[in-house]
Amino acid sequence: MDKKSFKGYLYLLPSIIIMLAFTIYPLIRAIIMSFLGDYSIINHGYSSIGFDNYKALFADPDFALSLRNTSIYVICVVPASIILSLIIAVLINSCNKTKAFFQTVYFLPYVTSVIAIGIVWRWMFNSNYGLINYFLGFFGIDPIPWLNRPEYAMPALIIFAIWKSMAFNILIFLAGLQTIPEDLYRAARIDSTPKLRVFTRITVPQLAPMIVYSSVIGMIGAFKVYNEVFSLFQGKAGPANKAMTIVYYIYDKFYNSYKYGVAAAGSVVLFIIILVMTQIQLRVTGEKKKK
Amino acid sequence: MDIRIENLTKTYGNLNAVDHMNLRINDGELVGLLGPSGCGKSTTLFMLSGLTTPTEGKIFFGDKDVTSIPPEDREIGLVFQNYALYPHMTVEDNITFPLINRGVKKAQAREEALEIAKVVKIDQYMNRKPSELSGGQQQRVAIARALVKKPQVLLLDEPLSNLDAKLRVATREEIRRIQQEVKITTIFVTHDQEEAMSISDRIAVMKEGVLQQYEVPQTMYLNPANEFVANFLGTPEINNIEVDVKDGVITAGDAVLRTGAKLADGHYHAGIRPESFYVDENGISFAVDNLRMTGRDLLLFTKLGQTVVRVLVHSYMHVAEGDVIKASVREGHILVFDSSEKLIGRF
Ligand SMILES: Nc1ncnc2c1ncn2[C@@H]1O[C@H](COP(=O)(O)OP(=O)(O)OP(=O)(O)O)[C@@H](O)[C@H]1O
Ligand SMILES: [Mg+2]
Repeated sequence: MDKKSFKGYLYLLPSIIIMLAFTIYPLIRAIIMSFLGDYSIINHGYSSIGFDNYKALFADPDFALSLRNTSIYVICVVPASIILSLIIAVLINSCNKTKAFFQTVYFLPYVTSVIAIGIVWRWMFNSNYGLINYFLGFFGIDPIPWLNRPEYAMPALIIFAIWKSMAFNILIFLAGLQTIPEDLYRAARIDSTPKLRVFTRITVPQLAPMIVYSSVIGMIGAFKVYNEVFSLFQGKAGPANKAMTIVYYIYDKFYNSYKYGVAAAGSVVLFIIILVMTQIQLRVTGEKKKK
Repeated sequence: MDIRIENLTKTYGNLNAVDHMNLRINDGELVGLLGPSGCGKSTTLFMLSGLTTPTEGKIFFGDKDVTSIPPEDREIGLVFQNYALYPHMTVEDNITFPLINRGVKKAQAREEALEIAKVVKIDQYMNRKPSELSGGQQQRVAIARALVKKPQVLLLDEPLSNLDAKLRVATREEIRRIQQEVKITTIFVTHDQEEAMSISDRIAVMKEGVLQQYEVPQTMYLNPANEFVANFLGTPEINNIEVDVKDGVITAGDAVLRTGAKLADGHYHAGIRPESFYVDENGISFAVDNLRMTGRDLLLFTKLGQTVVRVLVHSYMHVAEGDVIKASVREGHILVFDSSEKLIGRF
């Protein structure tokens, strides 16, 4: 190593140390932990070493439910949030005068505590005097017990999560919209392009990098969903645990059931899922770009 | 399609970007819109295209008042200064885009695109993206996209400004060829006077939003309406000289430039082009301070009184720094302007 690159590494050292201490080390510990049974103070050893934790994990119907719920959550929240954010960003961007105002309004959820937002949404979801049921009443829909009945737990969670994740996406898309040259839109007008076609053939392709970015970030975030569950159902996983997600499951096993090994195994499974999904996503969009 | 512009005005704040412009363009002509930066050329073009709404005045295409018709219904082709090609689409998709917007079937659109691509000679690049083309090729794609919908009017906003000198000349000839081939009324914005003169049927010169002169290039060059136009056209630049007139004798300092001129006594601004001088035994003596070889010509820097004067002679003439040459001004080549800078006459 020559002098120059040594100096370079020296600059990197603080962040490398922090990353090793708080990311890499816990990751390795978690992986090791997932293969170890309970620690016994009497024997000074682990009750088992191997795949027992994983066996327990996959035999647990709660974990199966959490996998299912998380998958549904990701499939619903990520695309819906991106599509809605895209539409809203384009609308905000098109009205010049009120742009700054709406930009702030839509960004508020991002900088507000999830717990606070959860309280607001609990009120909106309230079956008797909630805003949502009041609104649905206009269309002749009977009040829905959003937060009290198991079958509505996931829909309520998903609606809440879509709304919450839109703030970040709108911000990204608004920034992206500003980089699209105005002349492209002028050219589109000269070419008599219908409004919808301007959106699908010019705006969306021009925003493609931002859309890919948002969907990768959004998907990773969605797989790790926990805060939203916690805040909407006041620390529980919904009525009859029907809104159980993977991270909530891990949390529950760790802090409530003291099954550290199973919790670690759950984390490793989640880690692998996210790794595989993002790889697939990047590969697919990368391939498209090449074409 | 002939174009008529009446009293066209665009005001930004208290600035008249375009100021009561009147212009009439004949069907199938190519008009060069010429002027220095910021004089309102793009604004004029954008009003013709409908992208900018005029503050005042009217635009007619043929007999039809199009002033309040939006760009999508004006049947115009517009080539932007930076081409504004759709970067994520292939050349073919770029060219078929306006057709498909109008509901033309895909197969039909591709056929028409290929046809126009052959005219502008880009048919072998149909599957490339704009980023994979040279500046000149991109520009031809932009022209093809503008022409494919068979517009009544073609508008070009400084289409050559991104190209190098050689390509500029080649491409402007190309634009002329294409324009002649499809016989389309064309307005071509440029701030390069040579470019404008070489390909336009007529030139419109603007200054600070006001149309100065609208003429055939040669006539405008020989008969500039005012000092601004005289100064703007021609390289090397015209010589601006102060002259005195007494009893029909035009003098600059001690030098007599002309006798027998029908001009009231007084002090005037005059303009003499460098190429208006000819070597003459009986002419005025010019001391050559400096000279520059430009190829075909030799540009001499001399003085007339206190003013520096540029004189153009053939490059086979033997002159050196410090030499004295004798020269006169060709008959009718002294342009005399009045105090409001208008041309009074040529002597
Ligand atoms: N949207 C606008 N708002 C305010 N002023 C403008 C606007 N567009 C143009 N102007 C002003 O109007 C004048 C004419 O501008 P224009 O773009 O037509 O000039 P131009 O002749 O095309 O110049 P260039 O050769 O530099 O392109 C300029 O002084 C410019 O600052
Ligand atoms: Mg311009």
